[in-house]
Amino acid sequence: MEFQLSDEQSLLVSTLRRFIGIELHPLEDIVEQTGELAVEDAERILKNSRDLGFYAMNIPEQHGGGGLSTLDWMLVEEQFGYTTDILIRRAFGNVYEILLAGTPEQQERWLLPSVKGRRTFSIAFTEPEAGSDAASIRTTARREGDTWILSGQKCFISDAHFSDFFVVTAVTDQEAAHRGISTFIVDKGLEGFTIGPDQPMMGLRGTTHADLFFDDVKLGPETLLGPEGDGLKLALETLGRVRLAQIGARAIGKATRILDLTIEHARQRKQFGSPIGEFQMIQKMLADSAMEIKAARLALYATACSIDRGNEAREEISMVKVQASETLGRVVDRAVQIFGGSGYAKGLPIERYYRDARIYRIFDGTSEIHRTVIAKALLKGAPQLYDLVAQ
Amino acid sequence: MKVLVAVKRVIDFNVKIRVKSDSSGVETGNVKMSMNPFDEIAVEEGVRMREAGTASELIAVSLGPQACQETIRTGLAMGADRGILVETDADLEPLAVAKLLKAVVDKENPDLIILGKQAIDDDCNQTGQMLAALLGWPQGTFASNLAFADGKADVTREIDGGLETLSLSMPAVITTDLRLNEPRYASLPNIMKAKKKPIDVFSTDDLGVDVTPRLEILKVEEPQGRERGVILADAAELVEKLRTEAKVI
Repeated sequence: MEFQLSDEQSLLVSTLRRFIGIELHPLEDIVEQTGELAVEDAERILKNSRDLGFYAMNIPEQHGGGGLSTLDWMLVEEQFGYTTDILIRRAFGNVYEILLAGTPEQQERWLLPSVKGRRTFSIAFTEPEAGSDAASIRTTARREGDTWILSGQKCFISDAHFSDFFVVTAVTDQEAAHRGISTFIVDKGLEGFTIGPDQPMMGLRGTTHADLFFDDVKLGPETLLGPEGDGLKLALETLGRVRLAQIGARAIGKATRILDLTIEHARQRKQFGSPIGEFQMIQKMLADSAMEIKAARLALYATACSIDRGNEAREEISMVKVQASETLGRVVDRAVQIFGGSGYAKGLPIERYYRDARIYRIFDGTSEIHRTVIAKALLKGAPQLYDLVAQ
Repeated sequence: MKVLVAVKRVIDFNVKIRVKSDSSGVETGNVKMSMNPFDEIAVEEGVRMREAGTASELIAVSLGPQACQETIRTGLAMGADRGILVETDADLEPLAVAKLLKAVVDKENPDLIILGKQAIDDDCNQTGQMLAALLGWPQGTFASNLAFADGKADVTREIDGGLETLSLSMPAVITTDLRLNEPRYASLPNIMKAKKKPIDVFSTDDLGVDVTPRLEILKVEEPQGRERGVILADAAELVEKLRTEAKVI
């Protein structure tokens, strides 16, 4: 067991950290103030990142991506955590691996332009009545000759206003329960497809979130992604790695950045004649944050290595999702406490980190749902999740 | 022309330096190390020459423990063609470094050597000058611009009161100043390619150089912390304090 980065990993990580610090950090406050990332800034960071091969690093090389292993991808995503959601999306892409399940024609039409950063897409699974319970969706696609007729509504779809197309789940067989759900690729601009207004959120400034409305949208047979009825299976198979990256790794990166600032503040801020870092109650908070970050990171890397060995690691991913997002929640809460009034004020970014952190325990499966996944596996018999000898 | 760049592994510029508890030096264990920023500028200049066709081969050389391979890999990922490591666990002083580099130069016969003007750890600013002297080559230190024409290197230097341009005959030694260029980010494909580029490893014995230190470090101490300033009401109070407290007037 070697807990050390290779020369390449260490160079990749430090290069990204530097790139993010120089190219992206100066944009964070502007996006926070204006609520959006200016088009010319988005184009510049996309170009700078793509020229360095930093766009769509998770996608295999034969499809034009970076071809990183799961572990390398997590190291990279952890650095992404050092900046905001919208800047990650524009600089490094948000290319879901679900499109790899497409036919060569589908990959040519939808995956390739996405890997190159020419088109952007979002995943649209969530509905007003189907959040955690993804199988209870009401959007339907009924067959009419060669075409599918899509109707229904999706909600909270990230980047909806910017995306060029959407990967949408719909019921294709009412009788078959969770085996009756299929996945479609839906281009923006099709007749009957409308996108609602942006729904401002507590955090994640700059990223739009909107409802999608499908009113008898006609879809050709080439839009069905994967076999009919395999929609949920496909989602389960391809979204686990993304969850580990976008929630697990990024939450750990964010927590690390916040702890850095907190420690610096504890060194500098003086009360009662000495730096507050000398007070034991502050020390406890710092030590707890560092311990929790370190533990979550080890769990992340172990899970990534397990996936690289060919395991699905579904429950391990759930464990990291909960552990990392809750660690972030505690670390940022302590940061606000240690910064005190200035942690609550908008003059410093701490309050923004606090708002941005809250969603991590909710999106991509709530803490509660993931704990259920873990517990169900334990009760069925999965001692390898906690017992070394059973592995 | 064949270009050699020297790269030193130093404590990363972001790290808060801590002095060892026995005052024998600074703590380097479990501390992030990086390429000396001035050497990064040297590598960048070499890579630009390589891209412009001025240089036909670019070699990154480092001296020190095995971990210096990482520093060389950084240079390879930026665009150097191959690396040379002179592996030693000894503490190397500038003269020993210059002698080792001269031995490498004798093997490789480069037309140009580019080094950082100094390393951010000891700030000696000696190696380039000593190397030029040992080789008997012309030197252009603190370069803020470099141009090549008619077998000469025109080196612009930042000096007190302005800029000075020297015309050096080749081969020559050049040391880089901060404003020579802005080093690039290593791209993902180049980071992966760097793994496959060769690094030759030599020992100090292979090169026949005695690296025994000539200096003895007696003590390393933290700089004294600055006392907190006070805001004075007016100039009269300042004069008063300069006279009575600081006793400078």
